[in-house]
Amino acid sequence: MMRANRLIIAAIALSLVQIGFLSWMIAGRAAILRNGAEVLLRIQPVDPRDLLRGDYVVLSYDISQIPVSLIGNVPQGMTETEEGPIYVRLAKGADNHWNAVSASLGVPPAAPAAPGEVDIKGYLSSGWGLVGDAIVNPDYGIERFYLPEGEGLAIQNDIRERPFSMRVAVAKDGAAQIKALLDGDTVLFEEPLY
Amino acid sequence: MASYAVRVKRDLARWVESGVIAPDLAQVLADDIDAHQRKSFSFGSILAILAALLFAAALLIFVAANWEAIPRVWRVGLIFAALAAGYVGGAVLKQRDHPAFAEALWLIGAAGFGGAISLIGQMYHMSGDEAQAVLVWCGGTALAALALRSGPLTAGAVVLADAWMAMLALDFWGSTPFPYEFAAVALVLWALSYWTDSKVARHLILLSLDCYLVLLAIEVNMFVVSVLLAIASAAVFAFAVMRPAEADRLARLDGRLALHGLIGFLTGMTVLQFGMIDELGALVIGAIVSFAGIAAALFYGGRDSRAVRWIAYLGFGCQLVFTYVVTLGTMLGTAGFFLLGSATLAILAYVIIRIERRVNAPAAPQGANA
Repeated sequence: MMRANRLIIAAIALSLVQIGFLSWMIAGRAAILRNGAEVLLRIQPVDPRDLLRGDYVVLSYDISQIPVSLIGNVPQGMTETEEGPIYVRLAKGADNHWNAVSASLGVPPAAPAAPGEVDIKGYLSSGWGLVGDAIVNPDYGIERFYLPEGEGLAIQNDIRERPFSMRVAVAKDGAAQIKALLDGDTVLFEEPLY
Repeated sequence: MASYAVRVKRDLARWVESGVIAPDLAQVLADDIDAHQRKSFSFGSILAILAALLFAAALLIFVAANWEAIPRVWRVGLIFAALAAGYVGGAVLKQRDHPAFAEALWLIGAAGFGGAISLIGQMYHMSGDEAQAVLVWCGGTALAALALRSGPLTAGAVVLADAWMAMLALDFWGSTPFPYEFAAVALVLWALSYWTDSKVARHLILLSLDCYLVLLAIEVNMFVVSVLLAIASAAVFAFAVMRPAEADRLARLDGRLALHGLIGFLTGMTVLQFGMIDELGALVIGAIVSFAGIAAALFYGGRDSRAVRWIAYLGFGCQLVFTYVVTLGTMLGTAGFFLLGSATLAILAYVIIRIERRVNAPAAPQGANA
């Protein structure tokens, strides 16, 4: 009897630990949405074959392509990227969209971001060339947008004709979180906190 | 088909009647069988587990469908409720002595954990790193196995670890790092399998390690890894055959450790020979070692284990075909290929019939250890 009760207590504790962990994941994301700096990013048309997979669209941004010349701290003699983070500094352009102005490999940039600038954290895989006018493609973890079933196709077609934008929240440590998908100035989908 | 327990008890009754053993001993043996029988799975419990897996699939698909009709807070709440109901409900059923349904509910709880991770990914449009998500799911399942002392959950954690490993290692064109950490994950799950008393998990881990080492060989070095795998497996086989009692105390696999030694050896030799496919001399040596290993496995381990014998036959047949195709392959036309197939099957049939007849012959010892 004693042992059986212990099993039920273990099961309750396990449920609490796992639900706690999942809630912590949600709270982290909601915190970015609530407190993160807001930036507007231009979405680039993606090869339509790759665009729609299941119930989400695969997205690429203007800032998904960073010219190596923007990276300030490429070590001497390094010709290819190693796997790891890259911090990209964004500044607001004339059309309200934010563009990359500089980037830093591996570590956050030495100079703190000026007012009107935001550092977003991306991940680079290994093997991107770092020589000459090469371009690297970081992932920011916001390259996917889930849609209600059946709405993917319409967006997939529109996105190639008109400029779509994404409003993104960026936390202090650079973590990015999708906030709203915009077609021109019209908000198509806006994410609630929870 | 009468179960093992029923058949042994029938034999016990006969032995008591004919005075071979005392009634007391028969009772002790019967009790021991009952004690161990309760742990094994009946057809009903397999159905219960299948039902749980189907329910879990429904749960995951429900999440994936992104059903807009229900507000997301409700969806999260629903999944949390399924998770808690699975774990706690299973514990209650275990207490009331319904072990099969308890395990089934626990599986639903673990599936709820995985479903919640993917739901959160969907809610916040998180992209990338599905492998990481599967690893977290594996960790949660292993934790559940630890807390609830559940064998099926341990096996589930092994399957998830395998999925994680495959997602990273099979991504050849991508640039994901190779999952070297799988060795550590396997070790942790192996230790866990003692606590939860899950032989299934241990068998799965050993088979997964074979797959892992094949992928590691492709990633790092065909020659070194495959040779080490073959040698280590041969050592495991030798240990399992020469010191069966110690081997079973260590691995607790009902004496099937030798089988894994043979499978590992054959896997290593296969990778080795594919790696040297252009060097005829080395291939011949590899084939000779492989045949010798199979013969040794049959000689030392074949009598006690039908599984070892059949894996050895399979390895023998594959090795025969591989060696012929590589050495004579270019000269073979279609007719030649069928001729080869016929010859291989004939040789295989001859070997199998000879060995099975020897093994099944009534034990008539001719000499000490001939």
